[in-house]
Parts: sequence; structure tokens; C-alpha cells
Amino acid sequence: METRICCCQPETSLRCENCASKDANKMVIEQQPSSIPKRRQELLRWNGWGYKDSKFFINKNSHMEFTGERYRLSGKEMPGFRDWMIATTGLSLDHKAPAQQEITAAEIPSPIVNESFMEELKRTSISFSDDPQDRVFRAHGHTLHEIFVLREGCFQRIPDLVTWPGCHDDVVKLVELASKHNVVIIPIGGGTSVTGSLMCPENEKRMIISLDTTQMARILWIDEKNLTARIEAGIIGQDLERCLGEKGYCTGHEPDSMEFSSLGGWVATRASGMKKNIYGNIEDLVVHIKTVTPRGVIEKSCQVPRISAGPDIHHFILGSEGTLGVVTEVTMKIRPVPPVKKYGSIVFPDFESGVKCLHEIAKQRCAPASIRLMDNEQFQFGHALKPEGGTIFTQFLEGIKKLYITKIKGFDLTKIAVATLLFEGSKEDVLAQEKKVYEIASKFGGLPGGEENGLRGYMLTFVIAYIRDIGFDYYIVAESFETSAPWDRVLDLCRNTKDRIRREVKERGVQFPPYVTCRVTQTYDAGAAVYFYFGFNYRGQHNPVALYEDIEHKAREEILANGGSVSHHHGIGKVRKQYLQKTVSEPGVGMMRAVKHYLDPQNVFGNGNLMIPDSKL
Amino acid sequence: MAHYKDGYEDILEERRHKSDLKYCVKQRKDVPQYKYRKRRSPEEVKEHVIHSDRVKYTVEKLADRLHVTQEAVRREAQSILDEMAHSLNLKAVRGFAYFLIKIFKSLFRRIYVNEEGVRQLHRLIHEYPVLLMPTHRSYMDFLLISYIFYEYDLPLPVIAAAMADFSNMKFFGWLLRQCGAFYIRRSFGTDELYWAIFTEYVQTQLRNGDQPMEFFVEGTRSRTSKSYTPRIGMLAAALESYFKAELPDVMIVPISISYDRILEESLYAFELLGIPKPKESASGVFKARSILSEDFGCVHFFIADAISIRQFSTGHIDRVCHALEPRYINNLTKEEAELTTQLAFQIVREQQRHLVISPWAIMAAILMQSWETGISVRQLVKESDWLKRQAANMGAYVDWPGNTSPDSVVRHYLGLHTNILAVSDDMVMPRLVQPSAHVKVQNDHVMLNAATNIILSSYRNQLMHVFVRVAMVSLSINGCMQDCLSMDNLYSQYCFLEKIMARDFVFQPGHTRADFEQALLMLQHSGGLCASDGGVLVKKSITKHTTFYSQMFEPFLLAYWVLCQHLLSMSGSVHGRPLPRRLKDLARDAQVLGKRLVEQEAIKHYEVLSLDILGNGLATLASMGAMYKDKRNEENWLSPNHVMVSQIAQQLAAFIEVPAVQVTQEACKSIRVVLTAKI
Ligand SMILES: Cc1cc2nc3c(=O)[nH]c(=O)nc-3n(C[C@H](O)[C@H](O)[C@H](O)COP(=O)(O)OP(=O)(O)OC[C@H]3O[C@@H](n4cnc5c(N)ncnc54)[C@H](O)[C@@H]3O)c2cc1C
Repeated sequence: METRICCCQPETSLRCENCASKDANKMVIEQQPSSIPKRRQELLRWNGWGYKDSKFFINKNSHMEFTGERYRLSGKEMPGFRDWMIATTGLSLDHKAPAQQEITAAEIPSPIVNESFMEELKRTSISFSDDPQDRVFRAHGHTLHEIFVLREGCFQRIPDLVTWPGCHDDVVKLVELASKHNVVIIPIGGGTSVTGSLMCPENEKRMIISLDTTQMARILWIDEKNLTARIEAGIIGQDLERCLGEKGYCTGHEPDSMEFSSLGGWVATRASGMKKNIYGNIEDLVVHIKTVTPRGVIEKSCQVPRISAGPDIHHFILGSEGTLGVVTEVTMKIRPVPPVKKYGSIVFPDFESGVKCLHEIAKQRCAPASIRLMDNEQFQFGHALKPEGGTIFTQFLEGIKKLYITKIKGFDLTKIAVATLLFEGSKEDVLAQEKKVYEIASKFGGLPGGEENGLRGYMLTFVIAYIRDIGFDYYIVAESFETSAPWDRVLDLCRNTKDRIRREVKERGVQFPPYVTCRVTQTYDAGAAVYFYFGFNYRGQHNPVALYEDIEHKAREEILANGGSVSHHHGIGKVRKQYLQKTVSEPGVGMMRAVKHYLDPQNVFGNGNLMIPDSKL
Repeated sequence: MAHYKDGYEDILEERRHKSDLKYCVKQRKDVPQYKYRKRRSPEEVKEHVIHSDRVKYTVEKLADRLHVTQEAVRREAQSILDEMAHSLNLKAVRGFAYFLIKIFKSLFRRIYVNEEGVRQLHRLIHEYPVLLMPTHRSYMDFLLISYIFYEYDLPLPVIAAAMADFSNMKFFGWLLRQCGAFYIRRSFGTDELYWAIFTEYVQTQLRNGDQPMEFFVEGTRSRTSKSYTPRIGMLAAALESYFKAELPDVMIVPISISYDRILEESLYAFELLGIPKPKESASGVFKARSILSEDFGCVHFFIADAISIRQFSTGHIDRVCHALEPRYINNLTKEEAELTTQLAFQIVREQQRHLVISPWAIMAAILMQSWETGISVRQLVKESDWLKRQAANMGAYVDWPGNTSPDSVVRHYLGLHTNILAVSDDMVMPRLVQPSAHVKVQNDHVMLNAATNIILSSYRNQLMHVFVRVAMVSLSINGCMQDCLSMDNLYSQYCFLEKIMARDFVFQPGHTRADFEQALLMLQHSGGLCASDGGVLVKKSITKHTTFYSQMFEPFLLAYWVLCQHLLSMSGSVHGRPLPRRLKDLARDAQVLGKRLVEQEAIKHYEVLSLDILGNGLATLASMGAMYKDKRNEENWLSPNHVMVSQIAQQLAAFIEVPAVQVTQEACKSIRVVLTAKI
């Protein structure tokens, strides 16, 4: 094993000459270590989601419990959860499907080494490692397929080397060397990809290096006049918001994966944050992007709010999924941290009235920072996760004002849908927004459901990802997928897609009905984003992953037939490549390929994503 | 005859022993509903239609185009909708049920329903919107279906009915509206407003799954007891909802209703001959000639396996193409239209497959071939037994009671049809029908003979779909002058016959080859045909089978031939072409010629007088390009292309024996037929 430390380590606040920001007028930020260490496996779960110390398990009372102390649910027992799992998925505690303990070095493919590249690399100060576990950790993202492989075996092809450039110039150097020696680079940020985008093409014979960006994680400056900040692309979401927060600012970009995903990853996937209604999606948030490509560095000469200079080159980079180069530095908009942040919720008699209400709110352009509508299945799920006991009904009513309780009692608990809200702004703004939103809601039969129910909804999004791992232990496979659709299609799309999944599952002879749920997660003028969650008990099936993928494929076909998109924010990667041409037309793909070919004729960034043709060799 | 048989249950049995009144007020338990249904009243459905995007869009478009106010167009829309909409309510149905049971009990011996079909509906209705597609032979169809659904605690269907069928029956029409009928004008091809309202009315009820929806793919009651070629419009309107992903799926349930005897038999016969019918009215149907005291035998009601439009269309269409336009704008792709056509044909074939062939249909086919000579009962029994076995070999379900002697079965059915048959000295002979008082043909012997013949033929027709494909092979063999008929020739003749008979029989587009091969196999395996490497050995293949089948279809070919003769007799006047005329006038003129030929005993098949066959022939000639078409006032005016018509006439004459006649036309009116000696 070989590991070297570069001189410009964030940990030490040291910088090499080249990397130092030369701009003296801007506020310079004191740096803290990245939330993601170089040896990720020491902090994070190697074959599942999130922190090692946080997980669901069945405790001695045979109840579900969540470990650790990072989350609101941590250390809590959830008395209703086990029974809910049993009832909705047919899970049985007697039937376990434990994962393999560890992958030993013996099972890990040995690296392909390009000696001349290595020789030159060693002459630089860039840190690298060929430790098998470091390499496995960077061989994947978080699709069902990838995690299942980790639980049961190993990938056929993984990166041959991990490198940690410390700054833009390191990246320039690496790309130069890679081009010179015909080595493949796969950039990785947080590794939270859910499109298979990080997986190495199995038939790649060249040496593959994983370019881990997380050690380029500094905020280089904050410009308070223009409300912008220059940030290195490897910074992790939670670090970014924490650091800016200390200065009284935020970007407001909060994808559900923000604990682990990186700025460069957001740019490379066209990510979307929950609070986009106020702050915008990543493409609205970036003012300047610097990208290192084999052809050279792409960037604009100015940092302006808008420009007309031909097609926007940022938009070639946004969503490029690591196929064109490495994003190294980004100037982002920042905002003062809002004084008031308030949760809320609305209870609707059914999903349909909820969707109609969200549509109206979008029409009147008065959506709060975040508004999400859960269907009934998800509402039930949320309540099963409550630490306190009691029936769903009593729990649910707790948070609700007396005034509404009798009315809500008239609702059918097996039909209701709940919207969770997050308001941000000044005290007056928030009050006014709340008033307007609840007024509109009442026209659609929606009643305020209290702050607590809202807050729980948002907390849930952070732990929901951990649930899949315990599901795996009991023969449950699950995954999420998302889309966007015009308003007039949303309801039909949700209903038809759920129906399609249930049907496909049944037709494939799966013993138990699947759990399928959806929520509307974003609203726009012209439509909405919808997020599906789908899992099933695969006991009795031979190849659950293939089965799952086959069904998800059918679900995607259904979504497209319903006028939905191939993806709202997850992207194409490898798992949705087959839909790309249909989505953007043949010349459209040709256009992307032409750009790729110009910037990277050698296919150094040969991760096989997006428009890169599948080589049959 | 038993209460239960072969998966069928007789639903009248219980009614004969229990109170009708109690039955009508019975509590309907566990009535399945579409799982996403929102309860709406018929009024609310109408509200929705008027305010729908589709209708609003069309109203605005038309107001713009016609320079009238939107208000005016909207009023028009409202009146179209009022004319169309049903007002289904359970009270009316209960009241109506009371009379229906009494009527059914007196008309029918048994009403058999396949129970598995009912169970299937109970499951399906909950899961997906359901389209019921029954065969349509009688007014009774409407009543039967609703009654059966009432009986089995299924939600009552709403029913698309052709307005023309009820325009003269105010009360009955109103009553059916209360029982879920909604009315559609027969043709509104270019009336955009009508189309928009109709489409939305159908689609909204399908989307919400308010009730199962019933419509007749044949478009109207078949007057001939053969399946009509399917109409696509209504099906396309319904399926558009699926193509545009407004629905997860639609379940299409073909239903086959088989009657031992049809109420309207003589009404139809006179109608087919073009003899003015008595005004149809409720009393016309129920009381005419005190029908209630007559015996109409059994009814078989078969609910077939549902066809899922999702499964049917998988791999054939791509619904994504509708993503670029609002869904209320009417547009179906070519693939979708083709698929709908295929589906419509498939539905008809499914219906046919499950029709129950009554012994009477078998007997009718034999009686048709011994019309002039008569036949002894003994011979009839023997021949029926033979034909029954052939039908069964072709896959038909013949309802021949197993534990009764063939002789008594035959006698039983002869007893049911004494209005057209007489048995004396053990000989069965036709007996001329008695037309109702106001039909003015009392003394027209030919027409009365024809009417009687056509009634009988309508029962034989129940059998025709079973034999039509083997008959087309047989016809070619019988007409062949050589010793050996090559497969290629045989097939090309088969194709010709399929084309020329395409309106009288239902052939699924694109299935010709497969049908042909299947028919060959059938004939070979039943011993009717002998083939060698080179082709069919003609002498060995002229058997009882091939001869019988050919003769079954002879009247049709002869009718087309007569039609051609008439067309050829029309002399040219404009650009050397005969003056164009409307289809129905041409058919009538051809009928006049046919009548002459019958009178002169040049031909013996009275069926050539059927305006239905003549009209179908004309439509086919037109679609084969043998007629020039000219559109006037939304109607096709036709004029023959003499070259093609005479070619077709010659081709026809190769299959059947035709009289050697020379037809000339002197003035417009009088046609002279010159009989020349037979060659
Ligand atoms: C539980 C969970 C919740 C999620 N929630 C959201 C959400 O709310 N919104 C959302 O948009 N997404 C969400 N995602 C998806 C994922 O988090 C995003 O796609 C995220 O933007 C990926 O960032 P990352 O840093 O983890 O990138 P990685 O997974 O490391 O990489 C993703 C792709 O980007 C490329 N890449 C990474 N960094 C760079 C760089 N600096 N330059 C060039 N290419 C680069 C990689 O090569 C790869 O192709 C979620 C995922 C999970 C597992």
C-alpha cells in the first residue's frame, strides 16, 4: 500500500503556493476538515448507507431501534415499525438474509498499473492510494444493484488507484498525466450517485484512477457585496452550509443527500435541493464554474448574473456526469441566513385534493421554501416510525390544533394525504406566507396539521435511506426513482405508475404485494417533480436485483408514457442510458457526443455515462 | 334441459319459484366498484363534460371559425349532451326488473349465464375500467345484460345505443335512459362538436369508472344474425384515454348472446327485403302478434375472458408520442388507429368463438339447401347429425342435448318454428310467413317466399362464421376444371373470395394467410380434402364436405353476380360512365333484376333479394376500386367501372353456376332480361 500526503491539506490549513487564493479583497474563511475523511470506511458504512454508527436493528424487545446519536430518531425504539413492515411487505423476522462480513483483499480485483503514469505521478505532490478497500469504496454509488453486489460479492472492475488532489492545479496536473499516458479518470465527490455513474466500465483495459475531490473543500472567499462565494468543488453539503452559517450566510441548496454529497457532484448531476422554491436548483445557484478538461480549462471571464454569449457553456458542464472533465471551483450565490424557519403541515382528505392544492399554490407563486405532498402509504409509513407508541390516530392528532381535530376526524385515515411545509424568511414574511398557503389549502379541503407533523416529515428524509439496509437483512429490496411531469399529468402518472408496479410484481409471481408510495417533492409553474419509493419482499425469488430492475424499467416506461421525464434530478448515469436518445432526439445525443469528442477525444473521462457509447469490446 | 350445464347456470330457475316483488327490492350486496371511482350522479357527469377542457377547446375553436358567439355554441353543446346522456337510477331499474322477469319468464325457457364470466367481472370491475362488448342481434340484448348484472349484484352498465333505433319509441327510449342507455347519432363523422362531447362523455365515465360501459362493436343490431364488420369509432374514442395514459388499463370483455329464436325475426326479414316495416315501438316489439305467448327457447349468455388493452398493445404502440400536446386535443397515431381496428376484429372473433350454436341453426343450414324440394324428417335428422359433427370439429360449441334422441331434438325445434315450416307426412316444407297487417306484400308470392327464406337463412347464418373459411377453399375446388389445383392458385382464389365477401363476413386484416392455412388443415383432417405435393387433387376433393360448404355460400356469390349484371346493364352517359347513384338505390335496382330472375326461375336462391347482401356487395366493389366514388352531401354516389365489374363478374361465375343471361336496359325503369340457352 502506498499513501502520500500532499502539502496542501485542509486539515493543516497549509497551502502550497499554487493553490493559494490571491484575491486579497475577499473575506477568507478559516477551514475545517471535510466531513468525509480520506479513509471513508472508518466513518461510513462500506456496504450500505450513511454513518457506521447509525442503523436500524431489531432490539431485544423485538422492536425496531435506531442506533447512534446523530439524528432525532437515534437511540429510539419504534414500537409500531416492525408490525408495519410485516403488514406491508410480508416481512418475517424468522427469515434473515445477512450480508457478507467483509470483502477480503483476495476477492478484490488486483489493479491494472500504468507504470509510466505512476512514475510521473510519484514525482508530483498529489496524494494517492492503492489500498483495496479505498478502491472498492470508490467503485460504486448507491443504487440497489451496487449495494447488493457489496453485500453478496464484489465488482468485476474497480478503480486501480485513488488520488486526492488538493486543489485546482493538482487536478490540471492529473488530467495532463492521464492524457499523456492514456489513463482513465473517474471523478468522485460524495459517492451518493444513484445512477450507476461511478461504476467502472467492466471492459475497460486501461488503468482507472478515481479522482476523489473531497480534499479540495475550501471556501476560498465570500463576497458580501455581490452575495457570492468561491468554493472548491469537493466540499460536502453539510460542511458548506455549516461554514457559511458561521458567517451568517447559506446557499440554501439542500438535497436530501446533503450530509454526504458534494458541490462538484451537484453540478455534475444537475442536482435539486429541497428549498429550491426560494434559492433555486443548482443551475440557478451557480455564477461561475471552472472545469478541467483534457482540452484545457473551461471557464467564463466574468462573474455576472446573466450573459448572452452564445449557448451557455455552464450548461454543457451541468449534468455532464463526469464525462467531460473535473469541476474544481464554483462561485455560488449565497443568502443571509433567514431569521425564521418554521415547519408546518396540511392534511388533505385524499391525494388528489392535495395535488390540486399544490398546483394552485404553484399557480399563485406562493410556494414556501419547501412543500411536499406524501401519499397515504407514505403517511402511514411516517407514523410507523414514531418513537412513541399509540395508534396512528392518536399520534397524529397530537400535533393538531383543537379547532381542526373534529374535522380531521371526519377524514378517512386510509385515504388522507399530508403535505409538509417549510417556511423561511422574516417573521412577517413567514406569517403572511403561512396565511396564504393555509387559505388556499382550505379551498381544497386541506386542514393545518401542525408543526410537529411537518418537522417529522423532513427528518424522515434523512433516516429513510438507512431503512433500506435493514430491509436487505430481511429479504426486502427497495429503491427510489423520480421524475417530473406537467401538472395535468401528475395525478394520472402517480396512479398509473403505482398500478403498473403492483401489476408487474404480481405477474412475476412475487408472493407478496409490493410497497409502492410516491410524493410530490417540488412544484414549478409548469409542473411538478414526483418521487417514488418501491420495495418488495423477494423471498422465493432467485435474482431479486434483476427482478427489481426489470420492474423499475417497466415503471419508467409507464412514467414516460404518462408524459413524465426520464429524471428530474438523479440523472442518466448508466442505468437510464437507454432512454437518453428518445428523450433528447438523435441529433441531441449527437450534439453531446460532438462536445465530448472535442473536449476528450481519448475518452480519458471514460466512465461510460450519458452519451458515451457502450463499447462492445 | 337442466338448471346447470357446462359451466352455465339458468338464472330463471330461481325466479320461477320465488317472489318477483321481493326480487326487485332485494338488497344488492358487495357490488364491486372501480377502486379509484368517485361517486357521481348522472347530472354531475354531464356537468363535467360541459366544463371539460375538450369541450371548452372545441367550443372556442368553432365559435372562432363560424363567427358565432361561444354562448351559442355552448347552447348547442348542451342540447347535444341532453339528447345523449343517460340518467341511470336504481329505482327505475328495480321497477323495470319487475316487468322484465315476467316477460323473460314467459318468452324464454332458460337464460343460461356462464358463472366463471360473472366471477371474472366481480374481480375486474374493482381493478380496472371495464368495457362490455356484446354481440347485437336483438333489442333484448339491452335488457338482458342489465338484468343479468342486476341479478348478479354487478354494477349496472351504461349502454351506448344508436339513436336511430329508438327514435320512434319515445316511452321505451325514455325508460332505457333511466336504465343507463345513452344515445348516439349514427353518423357524425365531421361534426366536431358532437365528436368532442361524445368523446368526453365516454372517456370521463371510463376514467372515473362510474359504471361498466357497454357498447356494440357491430354498431347496430345485426339483422342477419351474422356478425357485422366492426365499427371502430366508439372503441377508438374509448381507448384514446388509455393511449394518452389517463388510465392504467381498460379491460374489454366480449360477450356472446345466443338466442334459439330471435324476437324480431320477421321484422328483420321484411326490412332486409326493403318492405316498409311497421313503426317500431315498445308495443311493436312486445305485443306484435302476441309474441308473449310464443316460445323463444333458450338464451345463452357467455362472458368471455377480458382483453387487456395494455397487454394487447404492448410492443405495438408508443404512448410517449402524446407527451407533446394537451391530451384533450383529438389525435391518434396511425399505429393506434390500426391497433384499434385489429382489436375490434379480434373482439368480433372472440364473440363468434363463444356463440352457442343451436341445433336449429344446424337444421336451418340443411333446410336452406332443400328449400324447394323439402326434406323428410328422417333425412333431416341424419344430415343434422353429420353437420353437427362437422361444426364441432371446426371448434364450434353446439348446444346439442346429449341425452335426448336426435329425432326428438329435431322435432322439438321444428315445433318452435312452425311460423315458417310445416311438417306433413313427415316431410318438412316451408310455410310462408304471415306479414303483419300493414305490410303490403300479401299477394307478392316471390317476396313472401323470400321473406320466409330469409328468416330461415338468419338461423343458418349463426353457423356461417364457423364454415366460411373452409367454404372459401371448397368453392375454389368445386369450381376448378383441372385435375390438380396448385396451392398458389388456391390461395389467390381464396384471397379474391375473402375480398369480395369482406362485408358479409368478418375477416381480420392481415390474417388471410394464417386463416387460409388453418382452413386447409381443417378440411384435410376432417377428410374433406386431398392434397399432394403439387396441390389439391380436385377429383378426390370434391366430397360431401366441400360440396356442402360451397352450397352454403352460393347465395352470396350469386347475389354479387346479379349485382354485377345490373351494374353492367347501366349504360354510360357522362364521359362514358353511367350516372352516379346512391348505394341504396343501386341495391334496389339490383334487387329488381334479381326478382325477375327468380320469377323466371333462372335462379333459385331467394336470398339474392336481400338488400343487405346487395348493399354489402356494392360497398365491397367500391372498396375494390370497381366503383367510381363521388361525395355529395356527405353521401357516396357510385357509378360502376365496367371493365372491373365485368372482370369480377367473370371471376364469380367461375365459382358457381350462373344462368346465361343477357341484361339490357332500355329506359331507366324497365329492365328486360333475356334468357339464353344454358351453355
Ligand atoms: C439518500 C439519497 C438522497 C438523495 N437526494 C437527492 C436530492 O435531494 N437531490 C438531488 O439532486 N440528488 C439527490 N440524490 C442523488 C445524489 O446525491 C446527487 O446526484 C448528488 O448530486 C451527487 O453528488 P456526489 O457528490 O455524491 O457525487 P458522486 O456520487 O460522487 O458523483 C456523481 C457523478 O458526478 C461526477 N462528479 C462528481 N464530482 C465531480 C466533479 N467535481 N467534477 C466532475 N464530475 C464530478 C461523478 O463522476 C459521477 O458521475 C440523493 C441520493 C441519495 C443516495
